[in-house]
Amino acid sequence: MRNEDHQELFLRSLDSHLQENENILLQNAYLTDTLLSKNSKEFIQIRELLAHQKGQSFGPFFAERVINQIRVLQEEIEYQVFSFFKKYQLVVVGLVVALLISNIMLADTLTIKSIIGLEENSLTDTVTENIQIDLYQNLTK
Amino acid sequence: MSPVSDDLLVKKSAEGDLGSFKELVIRHEGKVAGVIKSMLGSTEEAGDIGQDVFIRFFESLNKFRGESAVGTYLVRIAINLSLNELKRRKRRFLFFSSEEAGTKVATQENHVDLKEMLEYEFNQLEPDFKAVATLRLIEGYSTEETADLLQIPLGTVLSRLSRAQKKLRNGLQKHLNP
Repeated sequence: MRNEDHQELFLRSLDSHLQENENILLQNAYLTDTLLSKNSKEFIQIRELLAHQKGQSFGPFFAERVINQIRVLQEEIEYQVFSFFKKYQLVVVGLVVALLISNIMLADTLTIKSIIGLEENSLTDTVTENIQIDLYQNLTK
Repeated sequence: MSPVSDDLLVKKSAEGDLGSFKELVIRHEGKVAGVIKSMLGSTEEAGDIGQDVFIRFFESLNKFRGESAVGTYLVRIAINLSLNELKRRKRRFLFFSSEEAGTKVATQENHVDLKEMLEYEFNQLEPDFKAVATLRLIEGYSTEETADLLQIPLGTVLSRLSRAQKKLRNGLQKHLNP
């Protein structure tokens, strides 16, 4: 095995469990490969230096800055919703009025239900419709 | 008195209690800062990305089901946002421009110690290698946890780790034996 392969095996041993034969291979490599021992020390030194970079913060008052940012965003959303309704207030009111007027114009009688667009069937209408349905079903049998 | 659990703080935060959310930020700032600063360097934009991480978490509090720990969830967001930022920098050809990107990168002339050299070499790693090295070598997650956080196979973590370490070592050797 070349030094590069030994090195690969060594690096893998730092992050995962080697199989038994790989472990033996690595132990033997330490005895025969003079470069491996030197390289291993360097890799371990690199890892130790990196491990010491841990434990940082974003500086003072970071949590306060996050909370302020959230408050600003919440206010922005509220403002956008408010502005949307304010912007289209006239259009919405106009549409509702137009709808009511069209219902009044189309309705035969002027009742609350006809104004808001609900159908208003009389008892006679309902009975007549049911008789028509029965008749149709009998004819199609 | 035992400290309030993360789960309870999440629940209260979801109900709109910003005080509880602030406590979560204080608890997890170190972990998130460690990941982002390793990925992006100690820059002003690292702080902005840090804020984004917590804001995204706040916005998704109602969806947070607690399948993973709060810390793990935040680290996952931090890694994803950092990778996006690195890709964005690369697209804008700012990756190696320390002045414009605001990255604190040492030049060959002003290297004063091994730690700075290593920091410089670490900044030169490809984003995917950097992510693996950050989680495993700096933050101390296991290889399995790293694979889970990055949602890549364990074998990929091991090979990226190996290549990252070789690149770091080769880079350092260039500085030490020019």
